[in-house]
Amino acid sequence: MNQAELLESFVIEARECLEAIGNGLLEVERRPGDMALLNDLFRYVHTLKGNCGLFDFQPLERVVHAGEDLLDRVRNGTMSYNPALADALLDAMDYAGELIDQIERHGAIAEASGSRAVPLAAALRRLLDPAAAPVAPVPAAPTAPAPAAMAPAAQQDRPAWLDRIPAGLAPDALAVHYVPEPECFFKGEDPWRQACTAPGLLHLDVAAREAWPTGAALDGLDCYRCNLDLVMVCSASRDEVLAHFRCVPEQVELIRLAPPPAPAPGPEALSPALALLRQRTVAIWNDQSALLAQDGLAAGTVLAVVRVLRSLLSLQPGASAAVATLDALEKPAAAEHVLAWARRHGPDGGEQRTGSRTMGEDAQGPVAAAGQEPLQDGAGAAAPAATAGNAADEPAGERHQRVLKVSQDKVDRLMDLIGEMVVAKNSLPYLAQRAEEVHGQRELSREIKGQYAVINRIAEDLQHAIMQVRMMPVGAVFQRFGRLVRDISRKLGKEVHLVIEGEETEADKNVIESLADPLIHVLRNSLDHGIELPEVRRRAGKTVHGTIRIGARQESDRVIIEIADDGAGIDAARVREKAVERGLIPADRASSLSDEEAVHLIFLPGFSTAESVSDLSGRGVGMDVVRTAVERVHGSVQLSSRAGHGTTIRLSLPLSMAVTRVMVVESAGRRLGVPMDLIVETVRVHTSAIHHVKQAQTTVLRGRVVPLLELNGLLSLEEAPLRNDEGELAVLVVRHGGNSVGLVVDHFHGASDIILKPLEGVLAGLTGFAGTALMGDGSVLMVVNPKELLP
Amino acid sequence: MTIRYRKKSAALEGHVSVDDAETLAQWLRKQAVPAVHLGACEQVHGAVLQVLLALRPVVLALPADRLLARALAGLPRS
Repeated sequence: MNQAELLESFVIEARECLEAIGNGLLEVERRPGDMALLNDLFRYVHTLKGNCGLFDFQPLERVVHAGEDLLDRVRNGTMSYNPALADALLDAMDYAGELIDQIERHGAIAEASGSRAVPLAAALRRLLDPAAAPVAPVPAAPTAPAPAAMAPAAQQDRPAWLDRIPAGLAPDALAVHYVPEPECFFKGEDPWRQACTAPGLLHLDVAAREAWPTGAALDGLDCYRCNLDLVMVCSASRDEVLAHFRCVPEQVELIRLAPPPAPAPGPEALSPALALLRQRTVAIWNDQSALLAQDGLAAGTVLAVVRVLRSLLSLQPGASAAVATLDALEKPAAAEHVLAWARRHGPDGGEQRTGSRTMGEDAQGPVAAAGQEPLQDGAGAAAPAATAGNAADEPAGERHQRVLKVSQDKVDRLMDLIGEMVVAKNSLPYLAQRAEEVHGQRELSREIKGQYAVINRIAEDLQHAIMQVRMMPVGAVFQRFGRLVRDISRKLGKEVHLVIEGEETEADKNVIESLADPLIHVLRNSLDHGIELPEVRRRAGKTVHGTIRIGARQESDRVIIEIADDGAGIDAARVREKAVERGLIPADRASSLSDEEAVHLIFLPGFSTAESVSDLSGRGVGMDVVRTAVERVHGSVQLSSRAGHGTTIRLSLPLSMAVTRVMVVESAGRRLGVPMDLIVETVRVHTSAIHHVKQAQTTVLRGRVVPLLELNGLLSLEEAPLRNDEGELAVLVVRHGGNSVGLVVDHFHGASDIILKPLEGVLAGLTGFAGTALMGDGSVLMVVNPKELLP
Repeated sequence: MTIRYRKKSAALEGHVSVDDAETLAQWLRKQAVPAVHLGACEQVHGAVLQVLLALRPVVLALPADRLLARALAGLPRS
């Protein structure tokens, strides 16, 4: 891979990371206690930082690194996640996004924007410093979940080993936990000496990593297998300590001790309230374990127990690893697995650590504290832990191998080729017909038809397969809404919950991408006009926070996206008034509209109810844009609103735009296609049933008056429409802006799947046509766009 | 000679190296009431330290080294 390609993949991956980080930050804000989320978030930031290191993008790395440090503290529980922190991180990530854009365009970071990195990083660091108990992570990447189990020292939980440090040492000294590997003696290392000579050593405590054997087992003691576990307190700087342990960086863990209200006070320092809390925690933990041990538990009960255990753990500052393993249990978890887990991890979470090897012995070790009674059978429990760990790791590994990143151009090209293939195969039936009729070769004709059937099947499969490639979940668009809603609602001083449902629903990439802008408009409208201020909502007897629900689902060959808010709804009277005021419709027509029709006026171009133009809305380009964008991809918009109860906007979009179904009609000897989604019905109307009103013709269909227009006339063709032998006209009834309109044509030729090519080049400006398509017999079909054609 | 094995106790003297750990462990295991004298001990290797910690001999005299003395403070005294 050359440098350019490397850079390209860096940009792609960095974008993915940034997107994931952005979402992660919002998720965490919603569920601050979720350690798995935090770990994910941290991993993304870490990956991004690592990637930056491949290139010389210092500004980017600086900012990302600061963000990483910040998140690491949050993850270690030494800092709490708060909106200010989220804001700073989001800003930093926005900036990183800008830099990535620059890198993509120029391959480098412009100096002007690069210089902004310093203040931004400094802002992040400022958040770090006032924190009571900053944690300095070892440089060895503590991110991957698997090594956590392998390298005992790299565990990130608020470690129990801090308890071994007496209170009252230097207030801001560095605590060092050094767990030498068992084979260290064979490498010529002397951990004890190493610890004794640590720079600025204030305190040294030695204990057994695994409890010393007793009784007969003593004879089996291998004195050359290191079993030491050293805790030091050093007054030296982090760098000096790291330099001292430079040969064994993965075996040491550094934590800066907090000034007086120490992060991990000794057990004797626990206040009575804390002791009571711990006692209660243990009691609840044991109750839940006992519940799990019962037979025939419902899945819901197990789930509830898991939730309780999780909440208990979240009380413990150092229980992140334990929470992670709990989350790693398969879902829905079997009762025995959860029980095994609960026995393995005490309510203090961190005590048992995640390492599955030393489980049983650890319980007797010096770190064992209160509430460990149910934990003793570690041996049996270790196995499921290992499997759970593997299960969690495996999918990640495979996913990397299976996903192939292909640029969209290539997929589009493939689709074009398949389109041509479909067209080419469609010429075979014509060939068969010619063989039979012109050359009198019936046998050959039959063989051609046989071959056609085979090729047809393959072509259809191909088409289906390429559609699948282009499909992507609508969640891709929804993701960015979290940020949008958060930012806007904060700016407006409203409290809004965004609920996203069905984000896994899939649709064609183009359809999804065309959705982004309209949906943002809809969301902004909901936030700005729909959801009321908390005060107003309280007075109206609603919950203080508004809810915006975005849901996606598939209905036959369409994707339905609904955006519903529980806000004030649309005031039909006000909409009428504004529409008239802005001169969008005449006053008399406005008053004749029902409320339901009136709310649809907001889709008119130039409509706005806002008195002043804000940066959110009020420029009158809102809902009009939504409708245009949705209709461009052959979708439709519906709106329903109940005053005081909220508004629901429903977008209906085709699953795929690759193949368009059209009705082929003939008019004045020309074949034309009409998009099927607009057609209501085809009817034959006798001439006597046509009423002439001045120049206009109408007919009555099912009790409704339908205006009739001649397609010839619309296309400026002179010929009069043909009638059949019974004197009937062929009428294609199409939908036009909520009404039905009859198009008079000569003949119907049935439906056909076509690949619609937009008009390009000199034809691009031609109105009235949606595009062209190549038919199987080699002819070109013009596809009309009734919306543009009809007056 | 950094360890002198006497009738009832082992005297660790000067720098006790890694090589002495195995012999010390064997000797301590054989004793009914193992005891060590560390009065003249300056330094021990980590392996020796863990032998002492694991087999818990009676400590007849603590070493002068403050850190080592504290590490062995938990062992039975004579």
